[in-house]
Order: sequence, then structure tokens, then C-alpha cells
Amino acid sequence: MRYFYSYLIEIESLIGALDELNLEENHKHNLAALIDSSLHYTILDAILSELSEEDKKSFLKRLSKEPESLGLMDFLNSRVDKIEDKIKSSAKQFKEQLHKEIKEARLR
Amino acid sequence: MQFLSSHPKYEYLRKKWISKHKNLSEKFLDKHGSSLKHVTLGGLSGLMLLTTPGVSVIPSQLPRDVGQSITATEDKNRLLSVELKKDVPEEVRTLTVEEEARITNILSTKFGFPVKAELEGIRLNRSYGLIGGEQHLYRFPGDNLFRHSDSASDWAMYGPAGIAPGLGAWGYFALSENEFSEKDKLKERYYIAVQTFLAPGFAENVGKYRDFFKYRKMLVINPKTGQAVVSVIGDAGPAEWTGKHLGGSPEVMHYLGLAKGVRKGPVLYFFIDDPEDKILLGQIIIKDNNLAEGGVI
Repeated sequence: MRYFYSYLIEIESLIGALDELNLEENHKHNLAALIDSSLHYTILDAILSELSEEDKKSFLKRLSKEPESLGLMDFLNSRVDKIEDKIKSSAKQFKEQLHKEIKEARLR
Repeated sequence: MQFLSSHPKYEYLRKKWISKHKNLSEKFLDKHGSSLKHVTLGGLSGLMLLTTPGVSVIPSQLPRDVGQSITATEDKNRLLSVELKKDVPEEVRTLTVEEEARITNILSTKFGFPVKAELEGIRLNRSYGLIGGEQHLYRFPGDNLFRHSDSASDWAMYGPAGIAPGLGAWGYFALSENEFSEKDKLKERYYIAVQTFLAPGFAENVGKYRDFFKYRKMLVINPKTGQAVVSVIGDAGPAEWTGKHLGGSPEVMHYLGLAKGVRKGPVLYFFIDDPEDKILLGQIIIKDNNLAEGGVI
């Protein structure tokens, strides 16, 4: 699924690393679902931590209706300085952790 | 006796990532739970809640195109399949002109836009045939299979089809990555390959037909379920000897309900007369007022 912030996050390297594990199809689906949901929590946490209570509610209401809408990013840019950098940074940290764990898994 | 996992890499990651996910979701709810009172978590698309740690992931709500095969969609599309049954033959053969007229009339009414077997005096060799699964296509110089995915679930769902070794009939969708637009992305995502070379008059008008068919919008329908996709012609094929009459991208096959098993099945396919390019690409669902709602996922 595509979200309003998807264009900021590069997952090609993560997918490439997972692909090298030659997983079975259902295993791919399970791990992929975990990655997507965990990443979504990570990004949402980074965003909500920067918003006032009122802005949080506006943002969440809109997100629940139009998760893809770039208008959400416009909203965030008007409320939080350098929010795109903050999103990229938290995604980068998250991916680095996952890469490390994939490396460990290769040794199993 | 020690039992060893037959999938040690997967089990290692599964346990690690379930635990990570549980921590993330609990911390998230602790921190932001009060703000979520007026919004259901299911409405936050893509957030899963684990009920019991360590068990298989059971998402509370999955986005529609993630991790699950598409079965018959909304009821109205299913009703369409019942209505089409009278006019679509059991045998997968060329339709008569009368059959095409009746079917396109039904489809134009149901979907709310003109659906035609012939457009600008040009028609394909047939409008009812067997569709087979195609691979992804290179979209711009330097493209690769992994870049086609918007998410890990996208990769899990559509990645296994692979990427064709050569380019589509019209080459790259964009001349460079910089020029590659969202529109180009959707064209590759929802492309079909049709037997342009078998269209009546093709040999005598190659240039004209080639330009006509390039990214021509088409409605593709699984008549057994009513599942429908608005697609574009993105490649020429398959060869006659394959026994198939057209091909669908991994995403097209998914939304037609034909992505599993043999990845093949009978479909209807017609031109959409859309000179202003208003009809969105992707899955299309008939809503209550008999007007369709297009989906770009």
C-alpha cells in the first residue's frame, strides 16, 4: 500500500536483502506485513510526536480517510519544521536495524 | 531430541520482528492512545495489532492489495457476472458482432463510460480470450524489479512474477528516471499485452496502428466474477502458439482474481473511449448507483 510519505522512503535495498534469503511465498508475505506495519508505526510516531493535540486529531482524521493524499504532507510541512527530514531519519534508523537483523538471519 | 526449524532464517526474523512490532505498537498506544479515541485503528490503514505475541501474524485489517488473494469483490460486480452470463459463451471463442454489441452496452451502462469493441475504425482480433500472467516491464533506464514496489507487501505480492528480460513493445515508459511520472508508473502497473499484430488491417497500417495501440485504455473483466480493471496496452503479445490471447501485469492479474495457480483464465477486453483521460487506471468497482468507482491503489 502507498502512503502520503512513501515517496520519501527507499525500501529497495531492504527488499533486495530479503529477496536474497530465498524465502517461501507465505513467509515473504508474513515478514513483509510486519515490516510495513512496523515502519508505519515508526513514521506515525515520528510525526505525532511533533504535533499539538489539536493538530494530531486533524491529521489522524484525515489520514484515516485518505492515507495516500499528498495534502497530508502539505499539512505537516505547514505545522512542523523539516518534517520530511524527520520522517526520512526515523525510517533510515528503522531500516538500518532491519538490515542488521537480516544479516544475522543469513548466518542461521 | 532437539527439533530444528526447516526455515531457520525465516523463524529468526519472524520472532525478532514480531517482538519489535509488539514493542512499537505498545509504545505507540502509550504515547498517542488518547489522540486515537476518535479514529479507529483499523482506519489508520496498515497498522496491525497482534493479539498474542509469538503466534503467526494475524492482521486486524490488511489493505486490500496486501498479502491476500483477491476473491470476488463487491456484490455489484458479482451481479454483473450474473448478467453477463446470458451473453458470454462458455466456450472461449471469438464473439459475434451482436454479442459484442450486447456486452459493451451492458458494460457502458454499468461502468458509466463508453466501452467499445471498435474505436476509430480499429479493432483487435478478438474481445474475449484467455489471459495469462506477464512479468513486470523496465520502466526507465536503470530500473529494477525492487523499485517497482511501494512497500514490502507489494514486493511479496507482485515481485515473484519477475521482470521481463527485454523492453515492452514501446520501449521504456519514460526516457529517464527524472522524467518518470506517477502516470507512467500506473501505466506499467496496470498494463496488458494484446495481439496488436493480429488486428485486422495491422500489416497494411503498421505505423498508424502502433500509435493507436500505444497505452490505449482498455477495460478487462473476469466474466465469472465481475472483477474488472482499467488497464493500458503496454506490450504486444503473446505469441499465437502459447494458446493465450492477451497477457496481464501481475497487478492486473491480481485484481482480476487470476493471480494464483495457473495464472490464466477467460476475460472480456474492450476499448474505453476516454479522449480526456478521465478514467483512472486500476481496479474498478460498481457502486450502489450503478456508477463505477475507479481505484488507484
